[in-house]
Amino acid sequence: MMAEWATYTLADFLMFSPRVYFRLVERYNQGLWPFQLVFIAGALAVLFATATDGRRARAAAMATLSVAWFFCAWQFLWLRYSTINWAMSYGTAAFMLQSGLLLLAILWTDRAALPANSLRRRGGIGLMVFGLLAYPFLPLIAGRAPASAESFGTMPDPTAAVTLGALVAFLSQKLWLLLPIPLLWCAFSALTLLAMEDFGAWAPFVVILTTFALLLVRR
Amino acid sequence: MTITRRAVVRGLGIGMSMPFMARPAMSQAAGLMARSIPKTGEALPLVGLGTWITFNVGDDSVLMDECAAVIAAFFEGGGRMIDCSPMYGSSQPTIGHGLARIGYPERLFSAEKVWISDTSGGAAQIEASREHWGVARFDLMQVHNLVSWDEHLPALFSMKASGRLRYVGITTSEGRRHREIEQVMASEPIDFVQITYNILDRAVEERILPLAQEKRVAVIVNRPFRQGDLIRRFEDAPLPDWVAETGARSWAQFLLKFIISHPAVTCAIPATTRVDHVRENLEAARGILPDEKLRKRMTAYVEAL
Ligand SMILES: NC(=O)c1ccc[n+]([C@@H]2O[C@H](COP(=O)([O-])OP(=O)(O)OC[C@H]3O[C@@H](n4cnc5c(N)ncnc54)[C@H](OP(=O)(O)O)[C@@H]3O)[C@@H](O)[C@H]2O)c1
Repeated sequence: MMAEWATYTLADFLMFSPRVYFRLVERYNQGLWPFQLVFIAGALAVLFATATDGRRARAAAMATLSVAWFFCAWQFLWLRYSTINWAMSYGTAAFMLQSGLLLLAILWTDRAALPANSLRRRGGIGLMVFGLLAYPFLPLIAGRAPASAESFGTMPDPTAAVTLGALVAFLSQKLWLLLPIPLLWCAFSALTLLAMEDFGAWAPFVVILTTFALLLVRR
Repeated sequence: MTITRRAVVRGLGIGMSMPFMARPAMSQAAGLMARSIPKTGEALPLVGLGTWITFNVGDDSVLMDECAAVIAAFFEGGGRMIDCSPMYGSSQPTIGHGLARIGYPERLFSAEKVWISDTSGGAAQIEASREHWGVARFDLMQVHNLVSWDEHLPALFSMKASGRLRYVGITTSEGRRHREIEQVMASEPIDFVQITYNILDRAVEERILPLAQEKRVAVIVNRPFRQGDLIRRFEDAPLPDWVAETGARSWAQFLLKFIISHPAVTCAIPATTRVDHVRENLEAARGILPDEKLRKRMTAYVEAL
């Protein structure tokens, strides 16, 4: 006798069609344009902060990330995504929580010394660059309309990627508090894209693996 | 193989030669074959409309209108039963949109579900569903996937007693919790049971379908195409010419005819986003239903593919 859970497949949890989902993303992007550019500018500030040792810059970076999570929660998860996925009321709450945690992290960056580990730092910056600059081009290889592009601050996946990169690059304490929500989101997103048979599913998987790899490197 | 010895079940409901077959009656509208709900004799066309995934389109007005067109075509083609659940995202408001557009046809048979483990929230959930549909009351309320069924059922029976519902049922799918389904069918005065049944998933033939006949419980069949997988799997294979006598002209109709020819089945509820598909599916409830021998041949054919 098979256990009941064993009778479920990934596709059983998908409650909308890829067509509906990507149309939703496209309409959202069209409605926001060119606001995406504002966030890209903000994200460049985060990158700059990571590259310098300035504490103010790092505090500003955390604040920018916090705004990005709040914006994704409110505009995408709550107002858009939750119309086709009731689980997004929980997603919204988790994103709001992460936004709050990132604000708190402003305090922690002040006290924290940068991780001495330079490989980890460079890797984190790499992850951020990936989230910022590579993510919007994903539709090209996934064979989707360019309007379904995901960009930092407006869509969850690149926001999570940039956040994870920034955290491993320059937060040395309380990481255990800030990493779970972005990592869980990436896992959720990867599984959703996989269930939709979208080629873009590899991206959040890579983000998770890279984050863990960077956390493990010692030097 | 000749056709002469094959006892075919005629869509007109006359000329039925197999005594064990439940007699499909004529539906008023558009001549679809129908079967009666055992406990009341009310006739339901053998093909209804599911809404999982297909009608969950959010507030996308283009897609909402596409769904409204499917609903309109469904009623034009003689359909009655639409099945939904609070679990199906925006499907309920999509149904409301489609029904409002065609002025709530009298023929509508609304089948909803209650899906909440904290049963104190059941009444509020049903009321919210009712508002989304925009109907005065639901015809059928089912306990979705048996969630807290022992607590929901008494509430549903009392709603039925006071005229706020017409029928009560339970659902499951993909072969899950069949023992419990049997238990409920045997011990509770339910009117409907909803299960998965299709040409490859036939576990219900063993016990649940016979039990439904014995207990006079109407049967709704979900996942007739395994969410479209069966059609994708078979579409490259030739449709055998010996099914032509039943009127089946496509794999969708082949698969549906197999399901609705089981005498215990009251209604199959394929879901679709397409007007041509909803018409094609309703067409399966016309013409002739395969008899036992032909059903065996259909099974053997697809299993060999
Ligand atoms: N536990 C439960 O209570 C439970 C569980 C599962 C399902 N259900 C109910 O049962 C309904 C049906 O099950 P389902 O939605 O899982 O799957 P289904 O009806 O077996 O398959 C639906 C899929 O088949 C395709 N399709 C429909 N008609 C077609 C045709 N004539 N030709 C080619 N493709 C066709 C549709 O695509 P197109 O849009 O392209 O036509 C759709 O993707 C559900 O909608 C739901 O109401 C209930």
